[in-house]
Amino acid sequence: MSRLVVARRSLLLGSAAVALMPAMAFADGPDVGKPAPLFTAVDSNGKTWSLADLKGKVVVIETTNDGCPYVRKHYSAKNMQDQQREAAAKGVVWLTSASSAKGEQGYVTAEQANALTKSHDAAPAAVLLDPQSKIARAYGATVTPHMYIIDANGVLVYKGGIDSIPSSNVADIPKAKQYVRVALGEVLAGKPVTDSSTRAYGCTLKYPRTSS
Amino acid sequence: MKRLLALLLALIAFPAFGQSVVQTENVRAELLADVSAVKPGEPFWVGLRQTIRPKWHTYWKNPGDSGLPTEIAWKLPEGAKADPIVWPRPHLFDLSGVINYGFKDEATLLVRITPPANASGDFKLAAEANWLVCEDVCIPEDAKLELTLPVTATGAPAPPATRAIFDKARQLVPMQSPWPARYGVSKSGDPTLVVEAKGLKADTIRDVYFFPADWGPVASMAKQTASIGAEGIRIPLKRGDAKAALPADLSGTLTLTEKTAGGDVQQAFDVTAKLDPGFVPTASLAAAGEQLSLVEALLFAVLGGLILNLMPCVFPVLAMKAAAFARLAGHERSAMRRDGVAYTLGVLVSFAIMAAAVIAIRASVGDVSWGFQFQSPVFSLLIAYLFFVVGLNLSGVFEFSSRFAGVGQGLAARGGTAGAFFTGVLAVIVATPCTAPFMAAALGFALSQPAPQTVAVLLALGLGLALPYLVLSMTPALQRLMPRPGPWMDRLRQFLAFPMYASAVWMIWVLTQQTGADGVIYALGGMILIAFAIWLLKLGSGASAATWVRRGLAAVAVLLAFAAALKLEDGPATAASASGGPAAGVNFDGWERFSRARMNEAVAAGKPVFVDFTAAWCITCLVNERVALETQAVRNAFEQAGVVKLKGDWTNRDPEITSSLKELGRAGVPLYLFWAPGAAQPKILPQVLTESLILSELAALPQAKR
Repeated sequence: MSRLVVARRSLLLGSAAVALMPAMAFADGPDVGKPAPLFTAVDSNGKTWSLADLKGKVVVIETTNDGCPYVRKHYSAKNMQDQQREAAAKGVVWLTSASSAKGEQGYVTAEQANALTKSHDAAPAAVLLDPQSKIARAYGATVTPHMYIIDANGVLVYKGGIDSIPSSNVADIPKAKQYVRVALGEVLAGKPVTDSSTRAYGCTLKYPRTSS
Repeated sequence: MKRLLALLLALIAFPAFGQSVVQTENVRAELLADVSAVKPGEPFWVGLRQTIRPKWHTYWKNPGDSGLPTEIAWKLPEGAKADPIVWPRPHLFDLSGVINYGFKDEATLLVRITPPANASGDFKLAAEANWLVCEDVCIPEDAKLELTLPVTATGAPAPPATRAIFDKARQLVPMQSPWPARYGVSKSGDPTLVVEAKGLKADTIRDVYFFPADWGPVASMAKQTASIGAEGIRIPLKRGDAKAALPADLSGTLTLTEKTAGGDVQQAFDVTAKLDPGFVPTASLAAAGEQLSLVEALLFAVLGGLILNLMPCVFPVLAMKAAAFARLAGHERSAMRRDGVAYTLGVLVSFAIMAAAVIAIRASVGDVSWGFQFQSPVFSLLIAYLFFVVGLNLSGVFEFSSRFAGVGQGLAARGGTAGAFFTGVLAVIVATPCTAPFMAAALGFALSQPAPQTVAVLLALGLGLALPYLVLSMTPALQRLMPRPGPWMDRLRQFLAFPMYASAVWMIWVLTQQTGADGVIYALGGMILIAFAIWLLKLGSGASAATWVRRGLAAVAVLLAFAAALKLEDGPATAASASGGPAAGVNFDGWERFSRARMNEAVAAGKPVFVDFTAAWCITCLVNERVALETQAVRNAFEQAGVVKLKGDWTNRDPEITSSLKELGRAGVPLYLFWAPGAAQPKILPQVLTESLILSELAALPQAKR
């Protein structure tokens, strides 16, 4: 690929271009099996979290947007909270990332985030405030909830949906395969994750508007 | 009375049931059937018509990066069967980089229903539909819809207004691709799709996009840059997130916009591409070209211009001027600046003239589609030759005559701003012997670009050439840093030959990707011939008989080298037509060839005449043939009405057809004419045909005398 770029340029400029070729890199969602992108973010209680500091621990990232019917599906059924508690009990660090841009649905202030955690009786290790969608961007998140699991070595081992039935219907939760729960079990047992990349479903992640 | 009351009660008690229309917050959903009475055992179509709130969208079967497709759960009378939804062609929505596939404004999802052979009484269709509708926020909505149709022995079609809705909906359903398709996987794991639509014209087709039918194999978030070439439509894709191996068949919907004489026409095709293990795509040059954004191209052009300054012919000019600056130390700074700006303008004007010439040449060649070159082996070979010759020149094997160098000297000798301006012009001319090969390469690139890019790239090249002088005139202190002219210039020039040779080698490699190993023989053989020709020409001068013999031989050698190009053109073309693609020609089955005489004769004889002006590269023409002109019903109707069917093949711009089109005020195809018997003027039909349109046109004819 890169060689071809060189050739077209050399076509343009003759020899000049052969020696001079800028490295072009486009940010893309990370692949499973590759190191998870590092990030640093402040949570709703003012604490700073850095993924680099969490080496040695299994980390779950959950993108959220309280206005999204798919997020609500899993919170109203307590599915998300149950999994947060199970994870915490096993020493997993569960980070909920509020990645909606300011002015968009799902954007929360620290107080609002804490109020939501309380009203939902949620139990994440922290709710990260990500109003510039930096974490979401780094992980290539497209929806809420979009789920990621990072193993103790900092390698991304799961990305995708919370479960296998893409619907907003609460009644589907018991019928669905809970991908994250299953994957976490495999990771903690030191096994490779069977379904390591699944289709995430939900509302479009509310990134900052690039153009009107 | 009692019954009426019960009915009223039922209506009040179950407002959500028994309705064929439901208005939710963001969508009006309506259940329609293309029949008003059902015939037992005979399939009919129902449509879920969504009228969507402006700016909101619902989703296609593959919703893309987020969203969910509309679902319909049917409750049908015993023994009846509902097929899966037939989807209209999707649109792409870009939500700050998250790509969604779906529908805006209005979408009719079609479902074929097959009633049982023993159906009787009332046929009740109940549908529970749910969909996600999004603008920035998403709202799941649902509706319970019901439609009851009587069952009669013969059935009955729906009223015309409803049929029109179905006609429109069917027009939006992608057509089965008339071309075979295949896909290959690159070493990096990314798939590339090739739809073997051969002989298309790249400049009339745009907005090509492949909507993958399923999540997984193809990433919807990645930009697609399709190219159109001799092999057809090539779309490099990015692999999706599914961990499974890529499927044996990659399916999806290909959409494109074709520019026709009557305006833009959007087309959609369902494509199923077979995995071709032998096809390991290396990004095509065209694809690489797309990566070279205009900004980068400009940047490199400036850089290329800068390097031109180091060429032995240009550098002395620059050095002389710089030395003049040094002597003028203490001279008015503003005068120097004016000088620099004038010089720059001189260079830029020369380049602008060159750009204008390039564009004029291209316009005069006109019909040539430049998009093709980078996938054409001939082009690769010629560029390899060019690199080789440039390399030989840099190595000092031969020199271009510097006859031009004297021109303009007089003008440049003038003092002041005008003098500086002409020095700029002179620099360009003087530089010709050294820069000609470079310029040829740059022009080659420029030719492949649209006019504004051509101008921009050439001007950037000129700016690069003028830049050192401009900078020196602005900051004379810098001139101390300038290297002095000397033998190093020749050494640099000779050194630069090697990257040129390397580029030639690389082009040959590209060539082998396009033609196979045989390409090497032709390319290297051609290079030997070219080198031989140069040697012959250098042997002597004068007008002796021996010189003429040598010149003749050289010409033969060069001709042979270029004959290799023709040989290459042959190869892949025959291979392609043998690979089972549709013949890249117009099909005359059942049609007579158009000629004005034949048309006038048939019209004069009082026969109905249908004229189809078409071309092999016209997608809209092909689609019209498939969906309207060549359906069984239309063929029969044509025959019954005794229509004289004439087809004009404009693939190669037949002049008789061109003049006929011009008379009708059209610049191209498709164009459909219908002469009713005895009519003084033909009726021009729309450029997008439907079966019903042709049938109604024929039905309006007085019964043919048979």
